[in-house]
Amino acid sequence: MRKRLTLIPGIVLIAVMFLIPVGIVFQQGLFDPVFSLDHFERFATRGAYMRIFWNTLQVSAVVALVCLLIGYPIAYFIVRQPPSRRPFLMFLVLVPMWMSILARTYAWMVVLGKEGIINQSLLAVGLIDAPIKMLFTTGAVYVGMVQIMLPILIVTCFSSMTEIDQSLLRAARIMGASPRKAFREVFLPLSAEGAITGTLIVFILSIGFFIVPALIGGRKDVLMANVISNQVSQTNWGFAAALAIVLLVATLAILTVVRTASAKLVHHNEEAH
Amino acid sequence: MRERNPLLLAFYVLVVLFLFFPILIVVPISFSNGRFLSFPPEEFGLRWYKAYFSDPVWMSATFRSLRVALGASLLATFVGTLSVVGLGRRRSKTSGILTGIFVAPAIVPNIIVALGVFIFAIRMGVSDNELTLICAHAAIGLPFVVLMVGTAYRQIDPTLEKAARIMGAGPIQAFLTATLPPLTPAILSAGIFAFFVSFDELIISLFLMSSAETLPMRIWNDLRFEINPTIAAVSVFFVLVTTVAMTGAEFLRRRAEAKQND
Repeated sequence: MRKRLTLIPGIVLIAVMFLIPVGIVFQQGLFDPVFSLDHFERFATRGAYMRIFWNTLQVSAVVALVCLLIGYPIAYFIVRQPPSRRPFLMFLVLVPMWMSILARTYAWMVVLGKEGIINQSLLAVGLIDAPIKMLFTTGAVYVGMVQIMLPILIVTCFSSMTEIDQSLLRAARIMGASPRKAFREVFLPLSAEGAITGTLIVFILSIGFFIVPALIGGRKDVLMANVISNQVSQTNWGFAAALAIVLLVATLAILTVVRTASAKLVHHNEEAH
Repeated sequence: MRERNPLLLAFYVLVVLFLFFPILIVVPISFSNGRFLSFPPEEFGLRWYKAYFSDPVWMSATFRSLRVALGASLLATFVGTLSVVGLGRRRSKTSGILTGIFVAPAIVPNIIVALGVFIFAIRMGVSDNELTLICAHAAIGLPFVVLMVGTAYRQIDPTLEKAARIMGAGPIQAFLTATLPPLTPAILSAGIFAFFVSFDELIISLFLMSSAETLPMRIWNDLRFEINPTIAAVSVFFVLVTTVAMTGAEFLRRRAEAKQND
């Protein structure tokens, strides 16, 4: 029973540096000084803020899906290699995460800029006459975010795939299934939960992105975190808090919906087999 | 069984190249000797490394970040390991809820934590304070410690600690002699991870600190005005540091694993 006492420092740290601050965000957004929904009304009625909110969700969803489409086959490829070779193949995927996000965004600025590497080489070869606008575009934001998020999806997919008994696939083949069918009927359902979890994690982490859209996105690519930061620098704490609440509630709502739906899907699959 | 599909292999190589692309760009730039940014560099040298190491503004930002990250990492690992012990091995409803709370800062966007901590710190009169920043960074590093150390803790045989207790050791001594040694590699890896969570963090520092810059703040303020190769030198230097630290942690973990299997 005395072991429970060791929980106290952790609870104090989380309370003071997380729970109370998040509570304060709610208080700041909802009370001014008496309860009012003015900030939320401003958010809902000003088209610009709603547009940025939907844009944040849309960009995060696209990043998550692109990561899934690229990352799932990569995880599959790695898991189908001999176990002795897997750590090295995973290592190569993980090393890029060790570079600061600021430095990686800086690299994209150098590459995609008007006088950047891509434009300079295309001009030198003569493929284009004038530089193409790549920096400060939505495309640049996608490239930057996918580069950052992809390893996270691959790790999540990979760790769930390693738990699949690889001999199941061989058994399916022996029983006469084509490689495609064996994959679809055996491997895909068993790896679906990990893939959904990974996609969800990428989506949720993308919702809070700040550095990439600020540095390599255009004016239209502003995300919620950037607006919150702008409101804070204009000392509009109440409105910044209201935007933060919208972001948090949306994140939790999506998390709950996808979790429930995927639990049902996996359950349904188990029953069908 | 092996996947020999050449298309899949080619796809893997392409994706790894894409992931490495920023590093492949930044490394040559950091070793350029020209006054302006050009790629590929016309002349190689250590000009920008010298610029970085001789600039007092960059140096003070670096030392501040190292100090904060070290403090945050020590605090997060200490508090996190104690929490793991308190959560125990058996999964109960309470421990599930508590784990959820400990892990929550990793899911909630940092901007929300930053806003809350900022307003709270101003109310308490502790904004623009390195200690506040250390505590805030410790809180966002805590989830990783609880998860990483927790996984290792549940794999340790509890009978060892019981045996130590039966042999007359007090609860603290039993923990220190029987449970802590096999847990050390996981604590170390988690500590390094928490260190880099803090070292790389921008938004909380940006809100909280007004008179002093951390390294990410320095880079951020620099990037918004000009693209300067100093940033490349700084990044490459720290990629090297990180690689050494991470490889060291992995080495320690493997050696401990091998020892346990003996």
